Amino acid sequence: MKKVRKFDAVPKLNGSYKFLDDYTRPNLLYGGFLYAKFHHGKLKQIKFPKKFSKDEFTIVSYKDILGENIVPEPENDQPFLVEQEVMHYGQIILGIAHPNKKKLKQFIDNIEVEYEEMPAITDIEECLSDENNVFGRVLEIKHPAEIGNTSHLIHTKRIYRTPHQEQAYLETQAMLAEYDKEKKEIFVLGTMQCPFFVKSALDAIFGDTIHNSVVETSEGIGGGFGGKEDFPNIIAGITALLAYKSGRPVKTVLDREDDIQITTKRHPSRVEVESYTDPITHKIRKLNIDYRLDAGAFQTLSPVVLSRGVLHASSGYAVEDCYIKGRLFRSNTPSNGAFRGFGAPQALFAIESHIDNVAAQLGIDPYTLRKKNILKIGKEFPTSQPIIENHLEDCLEKVIEISDYHEKYREYKQWNLEHKVKKGIGLSLGLHGGGYTGNGEKILNSKIKLVIEKNADINIYVANTDMGQGAHTTLAQMVDEAIEHPHNKTRVVIPNTNKAPNSGPTVASRTIYIVGNMLRNLIKEVKKELGFDNLETYVKAHQADFPREFRSLFKPDPQAIFDDETYKGVAYKDYSWAACVVEITYDPTTYEINLEKCWNVLDIGETVNPEIARGQVEGGVVQALGWGLSEFFYKKGFGRKQGFTDYTMLTSRDIPELNIEFIHTDNPIPKGLGEIPMDYPAPALRNAFLNATGVGIDEIPLTPEKIFANLEEK
Amino acid sequence: MKLEFILNDKAVSLEVDPMKRLLDILREDFGLTGTKESCGEGECGACTVLLDGKPVTSCLVNAVHAENKQVVTSEGIAQKPLGKLLIACFDETNAVQCGFCFPGFLVSSYYYLKNDGEPNLEKIKTALSGNICRCTGYQKIFDSVMMACHRKQEQEK
Ligand code: FES
Ligand code: FES
Repeated sequence: MKKVRKFDAVPKLNGSYKFLDDYTRPNLLYGGFLYAKFHHGKLKQIKFPKKFSKDEFTIVSYKDILGENIVPEPENDQPFLVEQEVMHYGQIILGIAHPNKKKLKQFIDNIEVEYEEMPAITDIEECLSDENNVFGRVLEIKHPAEIGNTSHLIHTKRIYRTPHQEQAYLETQAMLAEYDKEKKEIFVLGTMQCPFFVKSALDAIFGDTIHNSVVETSEGIGGGFGGKEDFPNIIAGITALLAYKSGRPVKTVLDREDDIQITTKRHPSRVEVESYTDPITHKIRKLNIDYRLDAGAFQTLSPVVLSRGVLHASSGYAVEDCYIKGRLFRSNTPSNGAFRGFGAPQALFAIESHIDNVAAQLGIDPYTLRKKNILKIGKEFPTSQPIIENHLEDCLEKVIEISDYHEKYREYKQWNLEHKVKKGIGLSLGLHGGGYTGNGEKILNSKIKLVIEKNADINIYVANTDMGQGAHTTLAQMVDEAIEHPHNKTRVVIPNTNKAPNSGPTVASRTIYIVGNMLRNLIKEVKKELGFDNLETYVKAHQADFPREFRSLFKPDPQAIFDDETYKGVAYKDYSWAACVVEITYDPTTYEINLEKCWNVLDIGETVNPEIARGQVEGGVVQALGWGLSEFFYKKGFGRKQGFTDYTMLTSRDIPELNIEFIHTDNPIPKGLGEIPMDYPAPALRNAFLNATGVGIDEIPLTPEKIFANLEEK
Repeated sequence: MKLEFILNDKAVSLEVDPMKRLLDILREDFGLTGTKESCGEGECGACTVLLDGKPVTSCLVNAVHAENKQVVTSEGIAQKPLGKLLIACFDETNAVQCGFCFPGFLVSSYYYLKNDGEPNLEKIKTALSGNICRCTGYQKIFDSVMMACHRKQEQEK
């Protein structure tokens, strides 16, 4: 563990690092999309504006697709381009390209789409409360126990709701595609998380027409957060079709409005939690959770989000009798997709808010109820996976201590009796399973490659991208630290599907945890095999052997078995743990919450680069607090958000003082980090509001309008 | 129109549509791609440049408004002593994540450092409130600017 600076910080600051829109090509066309501005309907006619000569434009519809009009996803149900029926607002009908950006926009803006309107579901509540609206597999986790008569137990049943959240990466989605006629090869350069996903999308849309597709990422990737996990498949596919048809390079860069209208968001949720708690022992004896997600018009990767959601639904609590059910619901809004946390933030918002509601009903403090029910050695998850460490409890105790929780809890009660502006303190626990769920990593079967060059430089070839999380710095650091090699002689080569083996997608908090550990083990094996002490000296003495390539494969743990049918077994081999305290002030005259402080204690195992790790937590926590406080995308009566003017994220004026501590960093394994900071802060904020006002609002964001409406009701 | 202005301390001129955005002129005509477009509507600050010494969002400035003025982009600031100081501080704290917002932050913090420079958290927050960052949660950006303010004070002693 040493302080290593990011290799890309200075070039990003002085403007020399290239993001996708900073690349150009001779003879370039600009790409754009015509997308539906209605929710559901049959296409009747597309009328092109007369004042433009249509021949100047390259236009592709579904008819130009040479392979299949289906985007490869866990559930293959989404077309690249609309055929007859538009299923959601923002669904792409045509890809269009032209050498002049301005003209392209004017042309697209003036196309008229005639359609026959069909009934649509656009309201989240309407979508999630109608049981006829379910699609896809229903997931169930059953952990039954005979607990006898429940009549003396405290019964609590509430419904928790969360909205869409826009990833709002600062660099919008963008792709540049070229077609090499001679080689019959498509090349795509893009801002993305998963180059091999994009490659499979190209292979799907072109079928046998092309011999090869190559995908590479731009130098800089301006944020992803899950938003660049699967949607780039569509942009790349259509942009590549335009390049194929026109015979010229095509660059598509979405403007902010289009990006917000058509790309994936965080799934809105409705989670019903019902619990039976013993009023004497404060043990939660029975828990029923009905976890529902609005998937949008197509399932795409939602089944996987649902899976992670149900597996995190009981949070850090051991309950004897537990039943969790998860379902996807259909609506006529864009497919919801991956967003940091991947179903866990919705799950934790519900259960962590519920714990505070139960505590209020019992008349005890929220800490005590958590402490009484927390997961520890001897207990198990609802999947029967045994708990092997008490680190969650350690996080809880530590956050209570550093935030001075007990003292403030007492003090604020008194303060609130005497003051108009209220103070509140809220608590939450968090957990996040690292890597793909269940047997996912086994199936992914990741591969990695290292090349030791003649000058003893180590080039790392993986498909995992650095979208700002510092992965390439950290991966290189793991390799050079393992053999005490100079850091400036180790680097990750920009991911390219022709050069790097498939080490899996850059998702699921798996880059350092899975790929980093694989790299570290590989270089250690190399050291053993070659028998060197100092790689530079060794390479100098054995010049003829270099450059030399080394590869390895993911080795699954044979003990970690998960049954995907029954949802029993080890869902995630290693969990990261967290506890959080949020302090707020609340002004009843403006209905406004001010974020004051946020205390975070996390166990993510080894922190390879503590400053990078801290940055991840800071960023995730602020995203989560924004989701709790102000962010939402679509709501009946409000309409759709159009851009950054009406989509309100936290700015430097809104953020609280952040306090972050890592514990149990002596663990030799760095566990998942990227997502957990997004999972737990929103309920702590919501619980702080309950603590300040005595009013528990079971829905976020806690905008002044929502607070006002809830107070009126009460 | 024929547009003349001073770009990063050099006199430049070009033939341009008077309604073309300064942002596009910088990126397309001068190849200065450090200035980024993110929202295109003056909300995020990714496209911030100095116009006659003051920060403006270049996505909202048309060519005509740059006529005969001084324009300084992040590339220009990176060459100035205070710009270098800021870059060193952002680098040391490992503040930069995706980096898309950072050229804009560099311009805004340079303006603050140059014209005020007091190591005062509230003032720094206000100076940076026109810039959105989705990755960092702002904390390390504040830490870096604070560090630069302290260093500048020390240098001036
Ligand atoms: S792009 Fe100009 S302010 Fe966002
Ligand atoms: S570092 Fe990514 S938006 Fe600021």
